[in-house]
Amino acid sequence: MLKTTDLGYWYQDKQQPLFEGINLEFEAGQSYAIIGHSGTGKTTFLSLIAGLDRPKAGEISLDGKSLSKIGLTTYRRHDVSIVFQAYNLFTYMSPLNNLMTAMAITAAEHAGDRDYAQKILEDLGIGADLINRNVQRLSGGQQQRVAIARTMACDANLVVADEPTGNLDEDNTKEVIAQFQRIAHDQHKCVIIVTHEPNVADQCDHQYRLENKQFTAVS
Amino acid sequence: MNFIKRAWLNVWAKKGRSVLLILVSSAILMFVLAGLLIRSAAVKATNQAKADVGATVTLSANRQAAFKKMQSSSSSSKSSRPKLSLTPVKLSDASKIAKLSNVKSTNVTSSTAVNASSYDVVSTSSSLGGNSGGPGGMKSSTSSGDTQIDGVTATSLATDFSSKQSKITKGRGITAADKNTNHVVIEKELASQNDLTVGDTVTVKESSGDKAKVKMTIVGIYKASSTSSSSAGPMSTDPSNTMYTSYTLANTFKGSKYAGTADSVTFNVRNPAKVGSLKTAGKKLINTSKYSLSTDDSSYQTVKASMNSVEGFANKIVWLVAIAGTIILALIVILMIRERRFEIGVLLSLGEARWKIIAQFFTEMLMVIVVAVAIAGAGGKFVGDQLGSQLVAQSTTTQTTSTSASGQPGGGGQPGGNGTRGGGPGNTGSTSKQATKKTDLDISVSAVNLAELGGFGLAITFLSIMIASGGILRLEPKKVLIS
Ligand SMILES: Nc1ncnc2c1ncn2[C@@H]1O[C@H](COP(=O)(O)OP(=O)(O)OP(=O)(O)O)[C@@H](O)[C@H]1O
Ligand SMILES: [Mg+2]
Repeated sequence: MLKTTDLGYWYQDKQQPLFEGINLEFEAGQSYAIIGHSGTGKTTFLSLIAGLDRPKAGEISLDGKSLSKIGLTTYRRHDVSIVFQAYNLFTYMSPLNNLMTAMAITAAEHAGDRDYAQKILEDLGIGADLINRNVQRLSGGQQQRVAIARTMACDANLVVADEPTGNLDEDNTKEVIAQFQRIAHDQHKCVIIVTHEPNVADQCDHQYRLENKQFTAVS
Repeated sequence: MNFIKRAWLNVWAKKGRSVLLILVSSAILMFVLAGLLIRSAAVKATNQAKADVGATVTLSANRQAAFKKMQSSSSSSKSSRPKLSLTPVKLSDASKIAKLSNVKSTNVTSSTAVNASSYDVVSTSSSLGGNSGGPGGMKSSTSSGDTQIDGVTATSLATDFSSKQSKITKGRGITAADKNTNHVVIEKELASQNDLTVGDTVTVKESSGDKAKVKMTIVGIYKASSTSSSSAGPMSTDPSNTMYTSYTLANTFKGSKYAGTADSVTFNVRNPAKVGSLKTAGKKLINTSKYSLSTDDSSYQTVKASMNSVEGFANKIVWLVAIAGTIILALIVILMIRERRFEIGVLLSLGEARWKIIAQFFTEMLMVIVVAVAIAGAGGKFVGDQLGSQLVAQSTTTQTTSTSASGQPGGGGQPGGNGTRGGGPGNTGSTSKQATKKTDLDISVSAVNLAELGGFGLAITFLSIMIASGGILRLEPKKVLIS
């Protein structure tokens, strides 16, 4: 469903791009891990497919339609859901209100449905005792689960995550990755995760390594 | 409308910050309100003062023309002594002018001097018993005597009384009903020296014509202020020897040919701003070679200038505070937005429109401002009171100094002497005193003030958010969220 065509990006110097001529295809119902050394441009690549920035060369298209044609704001609102390492949530809201707000902004199918949001949170282990507490008073793992619940509550078919387990311990990491797998397989969405943890990457259906300005499939 | 809910959640969750914002905004708005209050009070006081102080148009003999005539006659016939002959004002002319629309009231003045008969005049060391009519102007009547008779329509309309320099202390003043009577109002000192009181009679002897004795009934006693006596100068008689009668009686003393005349007629104007047009209209009704119409709106001008300076100052305060408040609030909002970069980044990554993010900030500030307006409205009266009294004290002092320094030449130019003793500086002094009284600012918070305050609050909020929103518009979600 998501396709990159001759994608290239550089910050200052065109002669030294982070990557160039990238042709990749990501399918719905699959999870992808992107690995590589620090500073190779994984986050930069993710920001392009998340619609947070424009490519310097080539283009990205969703179901055959280029992102620039869809419009980045519309794309972010309807087609992609982003999970970051931190700063995911509205700090002045409860988990429930975080979900309700995201559903309202993205005009999700279940926007305004409290029970729906509550059920998703409960499935992820955010029980009734935590649901109305300010998110700043939740643990890191709980906060990241709220962020994942948010992507599940919204209708976007593409979920991208940058080091989503970077702040989590082993148990939480396992739990979070399991949820990403559920999003891919049960909700039939396309999940793309940037990570440097091999055990996280191993859980995903596909792995790509960014090296020498190119993505190579790892098997 | 999700941004409104977000705004509310944010204001509520960050109560401490919201309270601080409310306090800062209240302080700013309190100053704005103080300025607004002073301004509206100044406008009110100006209108009041304009109505109270008023202005006058005076009909009197044309001294300039008479003087010219005297000069030409003296050069042609050297044998006869040059004589300044002033034509008394005809009351029939006066009544025509009195019918003009802007005339509020009319005061006929006819002054003369008589000699004491049944009483002794008050003498001061400087007084030589001769009546010079004061420095303001010469008497048109050539007669002299030890007692000054100021014939008026009503004492309340006479300058000394309307400016509160003289006050009725016992009985009553002369009114229009005293026309053609022998009623008299005498000064307190003269009364006590001669053991006279209301109901007693005094007898005077005419100083011209048949020198007949005339008996008058005292209907009131007045007190002349020391200001008028000190400013009258050494050449005049003691002010205590001035009696007020109806102008008809004064005319009788002058002689039969003075019936239906006056030294001058003063018209009090209803709308001081239109004093000039009254003068123009009046001039068409009189023989300008014999008579002249002069205007005096110096009191009005003094009050107006004084109030205008307060008003101008208040205006400046309002705008300065509004601008300063906008800058302060804008800086606070800019800081707030910087601190909320991640939140904005999350909103942008969810695909929220930038204008809705700005709208959220605006709504948050609006919630703060509404509370702040209420607080400022409650507290603003206090600030306004303090500031108002301070301002008035300051501006009237300045005003008094400036007017007495510049002086008013000719004491408003009232020729013929219409009973305004102590023209010139004396007159100015009394005017300023009056102005001080009138400029007491009435400070109260009205619904209009609150509405204005709300408007300013809204404008300040809007502007500061607009200034700060540049930051939101430039913010790139990638830079915020990926570092
Ligand atoms: N805004 C920027 N301006 C200039 N250079 C940048 C900018 N952002 C990133 N870079 C550079 O681009 C390169 C790629 O950065 P990027 O964050 O994509 O790496 P990464 O693969 O995500 O690394 P890590 O694994 O450490 O997160 C780095 O060398 C970085 O210094
Ligand atoms: Mg990175």
